[in-house]
Amino acid sequence: MFSDTTTVWVLWPEIALAALAVWIYVGNALFRPKPNTQTRLGWTTFAAAAVAFAGFALYWHQGGAVWRQSLVLEGHGPLAIDYFAYAMRTVALLAGFLLVLQASRAGENELVSEYLGTLLLAIVGVMLTASANELIFLFLGLEMLSIPTYVLLFLGRRDGATAEATIKYFFLSVASSAMLLYGFGFLYGMAGSTSLTEIRAALETSSAADGGLMTMAPLALILVFAGLGFRIAAAPFHFYAPDVYQGATHANASLLSILPKIAGVVVFVRLVGVTMPALGDFAWQLAIVLSILTMTIGNVSALWQTNLRRLMAYSSIAHSGYMLIGLAVALAASPAEAATGGLSSVILYLFVYVFATLGAFAAFTYLGAKDREVNRIDELAGVAKTRPVAAAIIAVCMFSLSGIPPLAGFWGKLALFGNAIRLATNTESATLQWWFIVLAVVGVLNAAVAAAYYLRIVGVMYFRTADTALPSQGGWGAWSAAAAAAAMVLAVGVLPGRLFDNAQRAELAVKGIALPEGLSQADAPTSLAK
Amino acid sequence: MFDVRTLLILIPALPLAACVITALLGPRVLRSQSHWPAIVAIFGSFVCSALLGLEIYHRQAEPTDGASARDTLGGVEVIPAPLWTWAAIEGAYPWTAPSNWHEGSSERDFRISVVLRADALTAMMLVMVTFVATLVAIYSAGYMHGDAGYWRFFTYVSLFVFSMTMLVSVSNFLLLYVFWEAVGVCSYLLIGFWYQKPEAAAAGKKAFLVNRVGDFGFALGLFLIWTTYGTLDFHDSLANGDTDPVRVAQAREELQTGKTPADPSQRLTPGVLGQTLLETQDAGGRQMRRDWETILTGGQGPDTRSYVGGGVGLAICLLLLVGACGKSAQFPLHVWLPDAMEGPTPVSALIHAATMVTAGVYMIARCIPLFDASPEAQAVVAAIGGLTALLAALIALTQYDLKRVLAYSTISQLGYMFLAMGTATATGVAAGMFHLFTHAFFKALLFLGAGSVMHAMGGVIDMRRFSGLRHIMPTTYATFLIGSLALAGMAPFSGFFSKDAVIAAVYDRTHDGAYAGLYSVLMYSALLTALLTAFYTFRAFFMTFHGPQQIPAEAGHHAHESPASMTGPLLTLAVLAAIIGGVLFVTGSFTHFLGHTPSLAYLSGIAGHESAGGHHADHTWIAVVSFFIALIGIGVAAFLYLGDQREVQAISKELQLRQSPRLRGVSPYQLSAHKFYFDEIYDFLIVRPMRLFAQGTYWIDRHLVDGLVNLVGRIPPALGSVMRSLQMGLVQFYALAMVLGALILLAVRLWAAGR
Repeated sequence: MFSDTTTVWVLWPEIALAALAVWIYVGNALFRPKPNTQTRLGWTTFAAAAVAFAGFALYWHQGGAVWRQSLVLEGHGPLAIDYFAYAMRTVALLAGFLLVLQASRAGENELVSEYLGTLLLAIVGVMLTASANELIFLFLGLEMLSIPTYVLLFLGRRDGATAEATIKYFFLSVASSAMLLYGFGFLYGMAGSTSLTEIRAALETSSAADGGLMTMAPLALILVFAGLGFRIAAAPFHFYAPDVYQGATHANASLLSILPKIAGVVVFVRLVGVTMPALGDFAWQLAIVLSILTMTIGNVSALWQTNLRRLMAYSSIAHSGYMLIGLAVALAASPAEAATGGLSSVILYLFVYVFATLGAFAAFTYLGAKDREVNRIDELAGVAKTRPVAAAIIAVCMFSLSGIPPLAGFWGKLALFGNAIRLATNTESATLQWWFIVLAVVGVLNAAVAAAYYLRIVGVMYFRTADTALPSQGGWGAWSAAAAAAAMVLAVGVLPGRLFDNAQRAELAVKGIALPEGLSQADAPTSLAK
Repeated sequence: MFDVRTLLILIPALPLAACVITALLGPRVLRSQSHWPAIVAIFGSFVCSALLGLEIYHRQAEPTDGASARDTLGGVEVIPAPLWTWAAIEGAYPWTAPSNWHEGSSERDFRISVVLRADALTAMMLVMVTFVATLVAIYSAGYMHGDAGYWRFFTYVSLFVFSMTMLVSVSNFLLLYVFWEAVGVCSYLLIGFWYQKPEAAAAGKKAFLVNRVGDFGFALGLFLIWTTYGTLDFHDSLANGDTDPVRVAQAREELQTGKTPADPSQRLTPGVLGQTLLETQDAGGRQMRRDWETILTGGQGPDTRSYVGGGVGLAICLLLLVGACGKSAQFPLHVWLPDAMEGPTPVSALIHAATMVTAGVYMIARCIPLFDASPEAQAVVAAIGGLTALLAALIALTQYDLKRVLAYSTISQLGYMFLAMGTATATGVAAGMFHLFTHAFFKALLFLGAGSVMHAMGGVIDMRRFSGLRHIMPTTYATFLIGSLALAGMAPFSGFFSKDAVIAAVYDRTHDGAYAGLYSVLMYSALLTALLTAFYTFRAFFMTFHGPQQIPAEAGHHAHESPASMTGPLLTLAVLAAIIGGVLFVTGSFTHFLGHTPSLAYLSGIAGHESAGGHHADHTWIAVVSFFIALIGIGVAAFLYLGDQREVQAISKELQLRQSPRLRGVSPYQLSAHKFYFDEIYDFLIVRPMRLFAQGTYWIDRHLVDGLVNLVGRIPPALGSVMRSLQMGLVQFYALAMVLGALILLAVRLWAAGR
């Protein structure tokens, strides 16, 4: 039953993308023309087209409307066929498309097909993770992301610093995978099944019985947090991030801050947010503690950084902390409440974070050159004069990351903090009130601190004069990726309604709650139901 | 005939278009031709205003019948031109009407509709504003020629004309306030036009700040009107914002017959100055309308009023008066206007003599039904006006700056207008507006003449540094003479008629009624002021144009008459300044025309007296007296400044006017020359304490608040540096940290579970 045709049919965007990735590997080896800029351009176009085709397959051919129905089709084993999966696969494809564009001039000519093919496989990994409704499949998806990432880090640049960063990432990633698997083992032990749906049911029944296997649940939760915390760079599993980002190229750093983040958040939402709320107070308290720890460490450490990628690494850590706020809200809300807004605010925040970060990194890539990357913040001095558009893009992304209206980041923070406050004001429990008020206050304070280093970048670009001109040879691909991301940030900032709507829809879908009237737009999925 | 509504919209729209065009094209394309859009547009505005005035005049003459009778109640013409709704919140607040009103408590909408309204008062102001503005724009093309900010000047002037025409044609207090501020901004921009000059920048700031005091009062007045009358609209409209006269009249009739329309959106919202409130009730509760014709023939309606009097009414009026005092430079807020002369002279003529400064007078005339309900407020208005007129005239006696003499004279004449408004009678208001109208012409003429002199003298305006210019500048000389005669109140020039009408109106209040004694004092003070006016006007005139010819070095060797673009407007204005008062007075058409303004038409006339409608039976002696007073003033000036200087010195020494300290060290001469020390007093009482306070708060902010903030700001970096030390780069440590992290979490969990 695991190989019935529906499964294949549902997964066929991923299958097609993987097949095209393989074709990039093989094709380049077959033709083997003298590697030059033209071949690079050709293969980049091909990879971008491959991602676009997967998007086409996902949306038009498979019928995006189908996914808008909130349902998990029974009998399809490892797959969750719901709007959340659909939305996250879309985000992965959108981000992946921009990542491909961004990489158009990064790395060495000879390795272009290896780089692009591996990048596509990493995207497939994120997409598989998003569709997984089963522990083994989930782990498979995560490894499908991790292993190409190791390769990509190596391919980015071949010098000592990169090698060190890659090795660090590899060892720590393996360690985190081990912890995650250990956690999965406990879950399987408790539920006797690898299906998330069944694990949830088992946890709920045994918590009602009080006792038994439930004593093992917190252990599983902590291990899952440890494993996923590494993916999203949450404290205390974040140590690798600054070193690895600094050692990587801009293109790889942006990949590291985006793809594992999407995958990690997706698993957090589905595995922790949906499957394990039955764990009671410990779950949300753990999320709050890690959230406060993560965002505070990220933001205060970022204040000291002079290296651009190191700063962005701490920024990435801090944003993971914000996203854990939403997870805490989702875990703390009483299960009777259908839509708490916790998960939807995480989804919303993930979206705005991904594109603001991508825009900034792509612009950094554009401003540098293959052999001369923009490393220090000071090097950005005077960019507003020499490269006004790139500077404006970076400024938009920085403003969005610091959460200034009317940009996308503002709505993300508003949703997160707003939901925390709402939970605190709507609850009777004094403990909940206290914890969540503290969480919201710390979150807002952190956002204020964060503005300092984001605005410092903007200030350096606009109010200081350049010592030496930046090469600005990152290519038009990087430029257009940055512009598209900034445009998305602006558009979502001005018109956030659709995003709010879709995030809410995704939250309802992932919880398996029927969509209320007005949200459901599509007919029954006749083609899938058969 | 033109559609009147189109005309009404075109009048402000044309200058706005000119403003946009000049602002966009001025610096690059138009350059030294930047005056054309402004001149063409403002002239177009004037043509529209004239057509509008004529149309309204014709409608007044037409007999009213049938459907059109609703439109033109009792010959009163109000033409609405609705544009758009600015704000509309339905059922925004509960509101209870005062007990003597028709409507009980209900829910009111918050609705601000942008509606232009043309009535006689508006039409008169529009004609005056656009006409003077046209001439000033033409004059400026010559005067400002070659200035670096040529296009900027015409942009501001167009913007001003737009704001001013909007100010007089909107029919809502809030929009009045908006454009009140807009003309203030234009004034600020134009006073500080030569912002490189520190005096000009300081004068602009002073004008703006002093006006803020007035605007504060105005704003409070609006709030009070809002809570008292439940609307800010001048005129009646339907609750849904519909202003169609026929439907409004229907609703009014329904209301008066006690019917309430089922649809709440069709209910009448009585405007503050609208028909419903203006109408009074007789003893039997029957609606009664008193129209202008009744008042002219001495009829008087019953006394019951729909307006809120007493403390609230007084407060509203006084707050509005504060606003009017700021804009029209009345005591004690008059200090900004003389300094405003730092701006280009055409601006002084247009904004600070003819148009903007009369906005306060216009506002009081517009709101006269409110003042009608409060005799105390009338007395205050009259007292402020009379006092300002006298005070400013006394200061003007000793000034040496030609433009400042004219500035104080403007303040003084505005005082006359306030005095006339303070009578709050139909004759008084008509006389005040009449004076406003004639004053606009002769004061603009005088300012433009002064500008012509300044132009020729290379920017020197101190009268001690030039004299005897009559031969060099014959046209300026002749036109300035006409303006001076008009200002001095010499028959048969226009100032004579209007000033006389004002004094006559005040005289009418001296017999009986509230505060008759005060009005007597004010009448004699006004006559004294007339004497001073004639003196200082001709003092300035003789010092400038007579005596030995003397030209300052700045003028160079080519001091000459100004170009035609400047003398043309001078001649036009001179003709009007000479005759317009007489023509309008003899035909009586001005008062008659203005009387069809709704808010004025319902004012109580003074029974038993013929008004200023053309008959002049009772007031001949006033005319004779004021004529001789003007003559005396001119004579004294001629004696002092044209006569034998030895005689003058002797008299001056004998009277010890200049040197000897009197009145505790301050001679009257010094008092006048130092403008009664108003600037010094304000500096001591307001500016210095404020500055001290500001220094105190600055210290607190700098040391206390900033210190705390900086302390807080140091915390995150300190925390960060601690965190940084953990980041040592060893992969073993990182792995250990991950595992330890998980273990600590587990330990905490176990500890918490075991507790």
